[in-house]
Amino acid sequence: MAFSLTVDNKNYNIDVSGDMPLLWVLRDELNLTGTKFGCGVAQCGACTVLVDGEAIRACTTPISSVLGKVTTIETKEDKEVSKLQKFWVQEDVSQCGYCQCGQIMNAAGLLKKNSKPSDDEIVKAMNGNICRCGTYNKIKTAIKKAVVEA
Amino acid sequence: MERRDFIKTTSLVASAFVIAMHIPQKARANASSASAKQKELTPNAFVEIKADNTINFYIGQVEMGQNTYTTLAMCIAEELNVDWDEINIIGAPVTPAHNHVWGPFMLTGGSSSIIAKQDEFRKVGSALNSMLKEAAALKWKVRTYDVLTKDSKLINKRTKEEFLYGDLVSELALLKVPSNPKIKDLKDCKIIGKGVKRHPKEAWAKVKGQAEFGIDVRIPNMKYAAVLHPSVFGAKLKSFDASKALKRKGILKVKQLPNAVAVIAEKWYLAKEALGDIEVVWDEGENAKVSTKSLHKEYSSMMEKPGAVMKKEGDSAKAFKAAKNIIEAEFNFPFLAHAPMEPLNCVVHDRVDDATIWSSSQFQTLTRGAVAKALGKKADKVEYNTPYLGGAFGRRAPINLDYLIEATFVAKGEAWPIMTLWTREDDIKMGNYRPMYKNKAKVALDEHGNISAFDAKVVGQSIFKGTMFEGFGFKNGVDGAQSEGLSDHPYDIENSFMEGYISKVVPSVLWWRSVGHTQSSPFVESLVDMAAAEAKADPIAYRINMLSDIRHINLLKEVSKLANWEKRKKEKNVGYGVAIHKSFGSIVAQIAKVRILENDYKVEDVWCSVDCGFAFNPLNVENQMISGINFALAATKYSEITLENGAAVQSNFYDYKVARISDAPNIKVSIINSMEQIGGIGEPGTPPMFAAVANAIFDASGKRYTSFPIKLG
Repeated sequence: MAFSLTVDNKNYNIDVSGDMPLLWVLRDELNLTGTKFGCGVAQCGACTVLVDGEAIRACTTPISSVLGKVTTIETKEDKEVSKLQKFWVQEDVSQCGYCQCGQIMNAAGLLKKNSKPSDDEIVKAMNGNICRCGTYNKIKTAIKKAVVEA
Repeated sequence: MERRDFIKTTSLVASAFVIAMHIPQKARANASSASAKQKELTPNAFVEIKADNTINFYIGQVEMGQNTYTTLAMCIAEELNVDWDEINIIGAPVTPAHNHVWGPFMLTGGSSSIIAKQDEFRKVGSALNSMLKEAAALKWKVRTYDVLTKDSKLINKRTKEEFLYGDLVSELALLKVPSNPKIKDLKDCKIIGKGVKRHPKEAWAKVKGQAEFGIDVRIPNMKYAAVLHPSVFGAKLKSFDASKALKRKGILKVKQLPNAVAVIAEKWYLAKEALGDIEVVWDEGENAKVSTKSLHKEYSSMMEKPGAVMKKEGDSAKAFKAAKNIIEAEFNFPFLAHAPMEPLNCVVHDRVDDATIWSSSQFQTLTRGAVAKALGKKADKVEYNTPYLGGAFGRRAPINLDYLIEATFVAKGEAWPIMTLWTREDDIKMGNYRPMYKNKAKVALDEHGNISAFDAKVVGQSIFKGTMFEGFGFKNGVDGAQSEGLSDHPYDIENSFMEGYISKVVPSVLWWRSVGHTQSSPFVESLVDMAAAEAKADPIAYRINMLSDIRHINLLKEVSKLANWEKRKKEKNVGYGVAIHKSFGSIVAQIAKVRILENDYKVEDVWCSVDCGFAFNPLNVENQMISGINFALAATKYSEITLENGAAVQSNFYDYKVARISDAPNIKVSIINSMEQIGGIGEPGTPPMFAAVANAIFDASGKRYTSFPIKLG
């Protein structure tokens, strides 16, 4: 089936089956590899992107259900994403780094809904994103600093 | 390890100077060898300086989060005075110049990277720094001490004239490399020993989605493969019918592998979806009867017989007869999957005469050799590329090279480069687990409550026996992963008899971050805690009383101070537990504060003190301690692989649970630079956490848990 899709403010036309998850459209059809595959069942959050500003798991989102504008970690124009990236580097958060794109996108989704989340709200919102390097402590710090700057 | 004839320059491209080490052929570089085909980097290079002042550091230790790229680059930069933000840090190809000090191969593991490489890298930096000064001095006609190096520039102290390093590329090639370059004392270093963040180029690439992990490799005309594996360990492929799968869109080929079926497709998702349409008949074999329950039974009966002797000191039997009190306990440790966030993958491009691979292996040389062999080619015909590793924890150093060889067979003889990518389910279900262990202990206490004897038995699969690493880790019937941290525990106990037992391998087993210390540390540190409780002694004071190693004693005092142990707040349902453990040359002491909830518990705080001899990058030491603690917390609280009908019960993160952000305790880290021998840092943060938590739960609840993961209720 033919789909048109807006990703990071660019328009794409693709021809794939409607049940193909957005993750694989991004990675293998559009070659946007910043969005990661981690579990395939919405358990780890590595594939998190924004659809109309809301964080979703791209690995379980069929392309046919994506009606809004998609923002990925590769965006250059999203205010929350750039701010979080800056604090991620400043706080030396990444280790292996594989999950961090999803962590940042999930945090961006949180900040768009709630620009001043409490510590508990941060933990609750970020609990679907796994980091096996265990960088959670610094993730919390980076998000809190981004909140303060806002 | 000192090498004679230590550093040499090597052949040049017209526009670059390359410094390498231990090159057998040429002692001098040839500046005029400007042939076009030499565009590619000399493969045994450490530092490359190009005419445009591009400076590349090549590092043979893979980057999997442990921050080896940055820390080893710091070692070069300490002596070379480069513009730090501008350098490029690149994974080296497979070449003897980057071999590990352990042998003629490149490998990244055993928390050994800094220990093995720091001295070489500092010397490379120093040699190049001297040569740059010499080259500039010749041009300016001044003495070398009139030349300064700073931020990848040379400065003439007299005239303030400047050169960029890249300006001297041709001159450098004519100079002899100092045979024994001098390096600064660690205490005089300006970069080494300071907390340096991950190199900005890597850090930014990782937060922008630009870092290339193995899974992100894209080669023109590349195809993708997904693989259908047996779920019963050791099952054999009897037959399969792929006719339905072949009718699906985008499917290029269904291929029988030695013991699996691969689907090659235009896109990975299409390949993965097609797996469901393949009908396979497996011969499940005798493992189909194996379960966790049956293994427990087998382990228990094995323990009734004598095992291989791991330790025999004094006269245990006599000490037990004279004991005032005897503690007996059984510990259980399940199989554990590593579950790195990046699912396992490998890209192989087989061609007529040669091949290329993109591999996330921690064993570069070994992997290249095995891939070449499987392709029927010579190792030097296989070009080897190392992308970033999306976590590893030992899983990307598989002794059986499982996913790497599988990817090779998938691509063998095919016209395309092929990425073979495992699902998370493959990763969780396919073995290479931390072995399942059952440990038993008998501890004798004398009339003062001191431990007079410690007898132990450990049963589990051997990581080393029957593998190419047998000589390294299996001696006199004892597996190194059973004895490490146990037979060499730091406590002064006069009498001891310890035995090891090797059980049958059902799922393959492997080193899992900190290897055998994942069982020995919780075992020893829980038992010492039990003894302290019997003696009604303070757990830290009790330990110090049994220790003679000053580093252990100092570290316990340090962590006690860090946690304000003496003045810890006693609250209902709150407990504090301590543990200390030496692994990979570093000692780590931790105190955990745990709150008991209804049928659950929360580790609220962890205080962690580490003595790794000297912290090359204290910020990274802190990061690795935090990482090790949260990694251990997953296995303390949640993770386990259990077997039923010969297969793993768990399959993804919903049933193979790991720590999440809500689990992460507050963590405070302190470092003691004892200036003793340098230890590793990637793994030692993990082992003490298990017992620190178990001991804290005991402190809070009076209940002693010795089976992991610890589930209350």
